[in-house]
Amino acid sequence: MVLVPETSGTVTPAGGTAVEERPLDEALTQTPWITIVWDDPVNLMSYVTHVFETYFGYPKAKAHKLMMLHTGGKAVVSSGTREEMERDVTAMHEYGLWATLDKTDA
Amino acid sequence: MRKFRRRGRVISTRLSAYEVTLLASLLTELIDALSQEGPSRPGPQPADAFEELAQELEPSAEEAVPEDPVLQRLFPSAYPDDPVAAAEFRRFTQRDLRTKKLDEARLVLDQVLQTAGGAHDLRITLNDADVWLRTLTSLRLAVAVRLGIRDAAAADAVSGLDESDPRAFLASVYDWLGFAEETLVLAL
Repeated sequence: MVLVPETSGTVTPAGGTAVEERPLDEALTQTPWITIVWDDPVNLMSYVTHVFETYFGYPKAKAHKLMMLHTGGKAVVSSGTREEMERDVTAMHEYGLWATLDKTDA
Repeated sequence: MRKFRRRGRVISTRLSAYEVTLLASLLTELIDALSQEGPSRPGPQPADAFEELAQELEPSAEEAVPEDPVLQRLFPSAYPDDPVAAAEFRRFTQRDLRTKKLDEARLVLDQVLQTAGGAHDLRITLNDADVWLRTLTSLRLAVAVRLGIRDAAAADAVSGLDESDPRAFLASVYDWLGFAEETLVLAL
């Protein structure tokens, strides 16, 4: 699934046709998006680690490190295309984690 | 309840009749909350073309932010700084996410009821472990919203409530769900 909120339905001032696709430069950039999991006071540390291990397939040490980072506020848990990150965020929401996606500054 | 214990591909514990009733009631509440329709679309036929256009521009139930605070936590915004992208994301994902949470809660409820009021052990196969964990998480998130647990300080305050506090019962439910989820994760 590809979402194109920036351009869908827009009409240029000159009256040109709306473009139903993502700008080319964004599509060509290799890893411009990230999935962020935010700290929340409810989810158990053991559970958050389990989710990072199970869904992302991270080794226990990396999953634990990301979980500890997230308890400090937030952790970037994956990066990739926008489509991939929307899939990851959806999966995190399935697990009840508080996840958002964002563009990298790079 | 006792800790969950794993033997081979099955994780089990024994629930009391009271715990079965409690868990079934929490699951039923969750299923009801997830089954709520979003804000309904206007029913009457549009009187003119302008009204018709206005109705079309109205956000559909699946892209609107849920009004129920529990559902707001279960379906957080993927794009907190971009309302247009957030609505688009909801439109494409929220219905499936809602269906998945509902199906999983129903499966968990079914397995709880199969214990016949706690007469039989609760048996969870490894395949269903994540379904259980996700559903217990939804229950904890729902109870946490009702307890006002928004940050670590609020969580600490709830864990030290006096028995006379009106929230004490709900806080004990929250603790119990935490125990169940923690021992289930550790049994994997």
